[in-house]
Amino acid sequence: MTPQQARQIIFDVLTDIAPEVDRNTVDDNRDLTEQLDLDSMDYLTWMIGIAEQTGIDIPQRDVSEFLTIATAVTYLVEHHG
Amino acid sequence: MIDFVVPSLGADMDRATLVGWLVEPGDVVKKGQIIAEVETEKGVIEVECWHDGVVEELVVEPGPEKLPVGALLARIRPLEGAPTPEPEAQPPTQALKAPPLRPTAREVAPAPPIRQLAHRLGVDLTRLERTGPGGVITRDDVLRGASALAGQGSPAGIVPARGRKKASPRARWLASQLGVDLDSTSASGPEDMVVAKDIEAAPATTLEPEDKVAAMRRAIARSMSHSKREIPHYYLATHIDLDKSLSWLEAVNAERSISRRILPAALLLKATALALREVPELNGHWIDEEFHRSEAVHIGVAISIREGGLVAPAIHNADQLELGEMMELLRDLVTRARSWRLRSSEMSDPTITVTNLGDRGVETAFPVIIPPQVAMVGLGKVVDAIVPVKGSPVAHPVIHVTLAGDHRVTDGHRGGLLLSTLEGLLQEPESL
Repeated sequence: MTPQQARQIIFDVLTDIAPEVDRNTVDDNRDLTEQLDLDSMDYLTWMIGIAEQTGIDIPQRDVSEFLTIATAVTYLVEHHG
Repeated sequence: MIDFVVPSLGADMDRATLVGWLVEPGDVVKKGQIIAEVETEKGVIEVECWHDGVVEELVVEPGPEKLPVGALLARIRPLEGAPTPEPEAQPPTQALKAPPLRPTAREVAPAPPIRQLAHRLGVDLTRLERTGPGGVITRDDVLRGASALAGQGSPAGIVPARGRKKASPRARWLASQLGVDLDSTSASGPEDMVVAKDIEAAPATTLEPEDKVAAMRRAIARSMSHSKREIPHYYLATHIDLDKSLSWLEAVNAERSISRRILPAALLLKATALALREVPELNGHWIDEEFHRSEAVHIGVAISIREGGLVAPAIHNADQLELGEMMELLRDLVTRARSWRLRSSEMSDPTITVTNLGDRGVETAFPVIIPPQVAMVGLGKVVDAIVPVKGSPVAHPVIHVTLAGDHRVTDGHRGGLLLSTLEGLLQEPESL
């Protein structure tokens, strides 16, 4: 998976949850929940969506890799088989 | 024959419009099956049927007409051999009629600008239909009265309340019902005025999100004003150490795939539901000047809508759910609430509500009880705090939990018992 593909999936799932999100104005390096006003349920639903789209199960210990777009992209690229 | 009626949809909603049928005459329906969709100020709500049977007749066609709670929608013939249910065999949600809002005399009287408008147009206030909350006369009521006086069309000199185009009151009302944008509708009336038939010819659209939010805002305004006016609230607060609960949950989640992961909110809801068994007088409704205790624990969950607004649909029999089930139901409920698709039973019968503002960084919440319920629990943010463990200071995750109670039903002593029971349960998470 290329970083572009990972990014595409991340944002596709995100805009299902928060339709007002504009992918051009999201700061890749800022805490997502804070930046986009996601609650813990939104955040979990987002990760479940990514797991479904990519086939990568995200274990509990790796949840912190999804705090920002940048770290999430890196994680998906590294873990996609 | 069983009457299928507009169900009670919560204390603050007394009307709904029928959006569509999901069944036809002759169809076999089962108890719990969703057979119709209605639209209210809280979005499109799926209405369940409460009996097994065959659809005999659909009495009402989908349309813009506002139907009151209890209005007949369809007739259902019970399956042969099945006994015709007694009237009291209706679901508890329908037996539980919301108490009528009892507006004070001041609220029934129209606001001064409305009075002036009526005076200017020569409309008799006592003869108008009152469509506002609590039976108050609205600007539209006056305009309708005036147009009835004038025969038809908008009375001269009336500036449209909204939008730039002139429109007859009937057209304006229809437009709001059908979700038609007045300003983009071609006008065929005198003086370039939009009239009813223009609206009927316009392509119908569903309500814009802004309109939905505005309607929801009005519903919240009614319900919360009622609460603050009538319910003598008392408030209690305490800290609960979550160290054991969160450590246990982390161990449980380590074994689960992400789609089955359990959030602390599910654990807190389950514990609250169990604690209510110990203090049942916080679980129920205040109707007609007396408390009606509920045997079942249906926990309303306050869910914020992204566009603005709030709904608090119920998770049924929350005290009997496994944690995993609770989490699944909670996630489903949040998703449907945010896409404005809840079910009638979820809207009508929460027996207590929990708000989890801690998720948004609020340390302590002071809830406003949703009538006719008699209590509400507020969950704050989980913060690290220094707590004594065997005499030594240790940092543990701690949550602020509050209770708003209705003093007509309980006193602080009983309310306190709920919080202390909740605290005890959260020290033994494996028992949840």
